[in-house]
Amino acid sequence: MLYSYIKKFKDLQKNVNSRDIMYGYYDPPFSVEQEGISISVERNGEQWIYRRTLEADTVEKVILGNGKHLIINPVEPLNTPKEITPNLLIEFEKTLLLSGGAKRKIFLTFPIEIGIFISDKGNKNLQLLDVLSLVRQKFTLYGEVSYGVICKHWKSKIYSTSPSPSPLHEGIMELTLRNTSSDWASISKVVFSAYGMKLYYEGDVFMRAHMDILNRNTAETGFELQHINGELKSNPLKDFKARKEAFGVYSLQKLGIVPTKFYMGWGF
Amino acid sequence: MNLAFLDLGLSTSNGNVTLGSVLEFILILSFSTLLAKILSLYLRRSLKDRVSKDIRETVIKLLYYGILTIVFFSNLPLIGINPSGLLLAGGVAGIVLGFASQNIVGNLVSGVFLMAERPIKIGDQVQINDVSGYVTDIRIISTLIRTYDGLLVRIPNQQVFTTNITNIVGHPVRRFEYTIRIRYSDDANAAIFLIKDLIDKEPFALLNPSPSVFVNDLADSSVNITVRIWAPVNEWFGIKTRILWNIKQSLEENGIEIPLPQRIVRIQTDAKKIPEELMPEKEIESVLNYEDRVLA
Repeated sequence: MLYSYIKKFKDLQKNVNSRDIMYGYYDPPFSVEQEGISISVERNGEQWIYRRTLEADTVEKVILGNGKHLIINPVEPLNTPKEITPNLLIEFEKTLLLSGGAKRKIFLTFPIEIGIFISDKGNKNLQLLDVLSLVRQKFTLYGEVSYGVICKHWKSKIYSTSPSPSPLHEGIMELTLRNTSSDWASISKVVFSAYGMKLYYEGDVFMRAHMDILNRNTAETGFELQHINGELKSNPLKDFKARKEAFGVYSLQKLGIVPTKFYMGWGF
Repeated sequence: MNLAFLDLGLSTSNGNVTLGSVLEFILILSFSTLLAKILSLYLRRSLKDRVSKDIRETVIKLLYYGILTIVFFSNLPLIGINPSGLLLAGGVAGIVLGFASQNIVGNLVSGVFLMAERPIKIGDQVQINDVSGYVTDIRIISTLIRTYDGLLVRIPNQQVFTTNITNIVGHPVRRFEYTIRIRYSDDANAAIFLIKDLIDKEPFALLNPSPSVFVNDLADSSVNITVRIWAPVNEWFGIKTRILWNIKQSLEENGIEIPLPQRIVRIQTDAKKIPEELMPEKEIESVLNYEDRVLA
């Protein structure tokens, strides 16, 4: 009985892991194609040619040097069509009400961008080669016209258990809501700073975040940085799985002291 | 080598000033200037990707001039000047200097206030008087503007500080507007739908503040639709030029045309339709009758 139960879970897990996604490490020459994206690195004499095609958009770059490998992984969804803000605003499809002092866990989806990095063996000297996205791009303003902040916009349903979106389009965010005030909180959106984002992938793309409601109008959001070993209780499929940590575009930048948390001062 | 000439001196109230001490003063100042320049260069490089340009340049300038001021005043005794005496003399000297260099001091003070109040920052797009362009530097005496056509304009800080400044990128977003004219025979609702669809597809056309598209005027030759879109302040011009042409193309593809100014002229050819009271024979007849009855 127990054996068949475990076997069933292992079979299901195998199905999830074998979902054919292009994330991973590649040694040139190689060619990979999925959902209209075509990525290849081919030898051209002493050079390597990186070529990426997505619909009518084609990128070609020349790589000099041998013994490099390419990493394709999900990155913070704030680089395309142009990096103009480090903030991501996720609007809820329905307004959520949280009672005073309550702590609840919900699941949202967030947009994915696909980053292509080149590195020496051992992931040294990582360099971003290209970023692309398959999802709709839209920006919005959080706050007032005078002092607000521009944010990348995304609309998500609220899930009580982990959803299963396409990993090239959307990721899963586990959001812990904590209402530290004694009043009810009406939540329709949440804003995050990309500087704290940590994405993990393996069959799906995952991110764990929190939102602490401080009072009627203010909240603080941030990300959990510890490595995830798939301890999502709501989805037993992932209990056996350890996700890989994705390389981020923002973590590559040489930054000074930047806040990794976002203070939501214009309501939520 | 005989260095006795270095001991040649002049006695002052603060002691004997020798040629050697004057040379020492000059050397210390030169060395400090060099050191301050090296430090500025180092800071400029190391803070390049970490701090925004305007803050970086302000910090570097304050540090540079701060070092030079401290070194200068702390070494004044070498040339026989007591810094505490300067404080006493400062009042009188200040008045004299103030009158002598009113404009320079005015620009200098304005420069300090510009750096403190920061109505403009390096990199901002501004309009000061009739000059529009990018702020490339805010110096102690003057502000440098690179106009949109690439010219360098130097504006004295006093003028910058006392005139109206329009900071084009002062807020994170800005709005732009079009008036789209369509024919009276076209469906305005369909045109509004097509325009809204185009705005929705444009990433930098912001969701909030929301765009507005509405019939604003029933003009002589056209129905005028006003389109208002908010965009990030650094992206608005690109979107403005891109969307306008897309709107024109989309409307034309869907059979909605932008009319030329027009005036309808009706040429009447059917005489029977002229009202009887306007018939010329009757007017003449009544006039004749009037003469017959009254003047005859």
